[in-house]
Amino acid sequence: MLVVENLRKTFEAQSGLVNAVDGVSFTVERGKLLTLLGPSGCGKTTTLRCIAGLERPHAGRISIDGRDVYNSEGNLFVPPNERGIGMVFQSYAIWPHMTVFENVAFPLRVAKGKRYGRAEIAAKVKAALEKVRLGGYEERASTQLSGGQQQRLALARGLVLEPSLLLLDEPLSNLDAKLREQMRFELKRLQLDLGITTLYVTHDQAEALALSDEILVMSGGKVMQRGNPTDIYRRPNSEFVADFIGSTNLLPGRVEGTVGPDGKGVVRTDEGAVHCTFFQPIASGAEAQVSVRPEDIFITAPNAARSVSVLAAKVENRVFLGEVIDYIVRCGSRELRVRAKPEQDFAIGADVALELYADRCVGLRADDSRKAS
Amino acid sequence: MAYSDSMQRTTGPSGPGYGVGARFIRWLTPSNVILVVCALIAAWLVLVPLAALFYTAFAEDTPYGPGAFTIQNFIDALTSRYIGDLFLTSLIFAGGTAIVTFALGTAVAWVVERTDAPGREWFHGFALLSFAVPGLLTTMAWILIFSPNIGWLNGEFKAWFGLDKAPINIYSMGGMIWALSSHYFPLAYLLMGPAFRVLDTRMEEAAVMSGANNYQVATRVTMPLLRPAILSTLLLLFIRGMESFEVPRLLGLPARIFVFTTEIQNATSNAPPQFGLAGAHGIILLLICVAGVYLYRRSTRNAEAFATITGKGYQPTTIRLGGWRWPVFIGMSLMFFAALGLPLFTLVWQSFFRNVTLPTLDWSVLSGMSWDNYDIILHYPIFLNAVKNSVFLGALAATIVVLFTFVMAWIAHRTAKTYGWMLDVLTFVPIAIPSIIIGASILFAYLIIPINVYNTVWILLIAYVTMNLPYGMRFTSSGIVQIHKELEEVAQMSGASLLQIFRRVLLPLLAPVLIAAWLYIFVLAVRELSASIFLSGPGTHVLGTITLTMWEEGGSFGAVCALGVIQIIPLIFIVMAMRWVEKRVGTRR
Repeated sequence: MLVVENLRKTFEAQSGLVNAVDGVSFTVERGKLLTLLGPSGCGKTTTLRCIAGLERPHAGRISIDGRDVYNSEGNLFVPPNERGIGMVFQSYAIWPHMTVFENVAFPLRVAKGKRYGRAEIAAKVKAALEKVRLGGYEERASTQLSGGQQQRLALARGLVLEPSLLLLDEPLSNLDAKLREQMRFELKRLQLDLGITTLYVTHDQAEALALSDEILVMSGGKVMQRGNPTDIYRRPNSEFVADFIGSTNLLPGRVEGTVGPDGKGVVRTDEGAVHCTFFQPIASGAEAQVSVRPEDIFITAPNAARSVSVLAAKVENRVFLGEVIDYIVRCGSRELRVRAKPEQDFAIGADVALELYADRCVGLRADDSRKAS
Repeated sequence: MAYSDSMQRTTGPSGPGYGVGARFIRWLTPSNVILVVCALIAAWLVLVPLAALFYTAFAEDTPYGPGAFTIQNFIDALTSRYIGDLFLTSLIFAGGTAIVTFALGTAVAWVVERTDAPGREWFHGFALLSFAVPGLLTTMAWILIFSPNIGWLNGEFKAWFGLDKAPINIYSMGGMIWALSSHYFPLAYLLMGPAFRVLDTRMEEAAVMSGANNYQVATRVTMPLLRPAILSTLLLLFIRGMESFEVPRLLGLPARIFVFTTEIQNATSNAPPQFGLAGAHGIILLLICVAGVYLYRRSTRNAEAFATITGKGYQPTTIRLGGWRWPVFIGMSLMFFAALGLPLFTLVWQSFFRNVTLPTLDWSVLSGMSWDNYDIILHYPIFLNAVKNSVFLGALAATIVVLFTFVMAWIAHRTAKTYGWMLDVLTFVPIAIPSIIIGASILFAYLIIPINVYNTVWILLIAYVTMNLPYGMRFTSSGIVQIHKELEEVAQMSGASLLQIFRRVLLPLLAPVLIAAWLYIFVLAVRELSASIFLSGPGTHVLGTITLTMWEEGGSFGAVCALGVIQIIPLIFIVMAMRWVEKRVGTRR
């Protein structure tokens, strides 16, 4: 189990001090996979490196399986080579001067306080390589491996000491799209099989949704939202999260009437009234945004619409993708993206109606940053 | 920052630790301690001689060392009748050498890097060899070739064309420029080669596709892209020309063509020695070189903007010469024959004869060939001692510099980003200091400081280490920059300690670079002359000084040539070793 409490890390930049990590707290339960997700510069990698011990935080507490490895009170800092964490780097960091076997054997050979015998090392390396399906590659030069194999090798090296915590820093970002998808399943299988507590860092939302038990969306060194993949996708709590995870359409307006205890309410936008669901309390008349994903808008002929919220629009552009058609429609002064089934086939320039459903439209409080600008 | 922070384990009840003492203790990590120690050693090596130089230059010469403060030395130096000539000849010599050297070196670089001419590998090897052959030997060879009295090629020219006067006089400005260029042009090649190599040919292709002809491509795209490289190469060659000592000493003195380096050496070898005057001349030369290095740094500062390496899978396309392949090959071969073959042949030929002998196929002459000169040299105790000194000092200096700069480069690039630049600057300073000034300053310094190294090999070691710091730092820095930081971090995450990371990850990965640096510095140190001439004494002769002494006082040209050949043969093997290392690293350097 990994516990991170109120972690802070500042960097000196030319413009002054930058809060790379600004009071981040979270827990990863034993055997779970938590993903830190966010755009570059959001502090996710710094958080990971603080947990690894490669960066020294300025404040907070980090504890692994009940043992503090960093605590600003008491000035405790356990160096990374004594934390017993497995880690896979973005570049894989495979040592080119060692064979596959030697790469994996390295953690055993440098282990502090424990000497492994030759046979023991061979057995452990073999087991680790077989876990990642690299059995039989022991004597290969590590530079002869393909990208995907190097990725597995890095994983085997991280796992050979059977650590209680595994850190993965954008491990799939250097692979091509097809291999990435394949490795995604592989990683998930391994993590479930081994039941190892894992912290995963990525900027790729599809990866995060596919792999995680829980996702932590970060921005500007702060945690924006925490939840399981469905929650994060279906119930974003801010414009940032809605926009960063998947793509979405945002309709600004004001809350009309009061929001019921079930969260159902109406937002009056320039284009019309939209029924939606709020997951946070919001006052009547407050500025709000409605977030609706392209696949949640139902496009239909002008007279056929039956929903409560219907917006009139005109098809501006369309792209046929086989299983779906992507439309860009003009609705008042706004362009919206709509993803429709191939049967809902409208030509460019056609007048259409957009049906919106309250349980698929998320009402958000207008971001403060937006109001300011 | 990772290591400086993380390699220590801080525990204890000392509380948050905001006090000055506590903060100092926290700052006192192993790598910060190493940083300070390295900085202090580098500062001592570099700054102490400079301080001694300034002190000596601004002090009266007395029989008991530097006396009262004075600026008389500068007045003497600047009001001398020769000062105008001195500036002019120094500038013409250095400028002329820079231009000739640049032209030759760039031609080689272009052929080797960008064309499909045959024999490119060989030209690369020959270039390395010409650079490795000591300038002193090349210059001696040119005297034996083009001296008006004893030059054999002059003799041949006279016979062929029926002249009664020697057509070429090596004891002239032109002769000096040629002699130095034939030795230094590989430097221009080594500097321009990478520029040609990283030039992305797609930029040229884009110009062609936009409708430009060859001339327009060259003037509007290629040259502007290469401008920083050209400028910096010319400046560096100019500085090297200002610093050079061997050629002015052997060719300039007899011709009464004086430059700063010979003036400095003259002043110290006068009786009584005029250390103050030497110091003043030294400071003037130093200022010229510092200005040159400043401009050099400025011209390379924006090199990033011109970096045209695209990284992934970039393969420079070669220019197909077609029918020009063999003419280019012959031209190159002739050039290498003139610049390297002639001097080497002359040394080898002459080494078999006691007196000056014209190369010929005449049996009566050939039958007079003998190994006598080698016999004399190899049984000459002073020579054997000099070899021992040079090899010992070269190996020790190379080892110290490589290890020292390896640690410093690692600290500068990995742990102490905030202070690391100090190490870079300190180790770069000697590049602006001509070796003759390093020699003189170290002499001044250890005459003043009561550390008993004067007249021992250790003072030579100090000089060799100091002057090679920049090269060591360049090699090791470029090596460390190429190693992805995550390769070290993952070792740390695997449980390795700092020492284990160095031994098991960094050292094996950097071994080729370190070997290359070692060989390079070894060669430079073994053939060193201009600093050694101040610092070697009876019993501490090195190869350079013994060769010069034998040339100027020994009388037997044959013996000196044998001495030269004995030095060159190991160099050939060292150059082969460097080629082998280059291939392992996969890049030419």
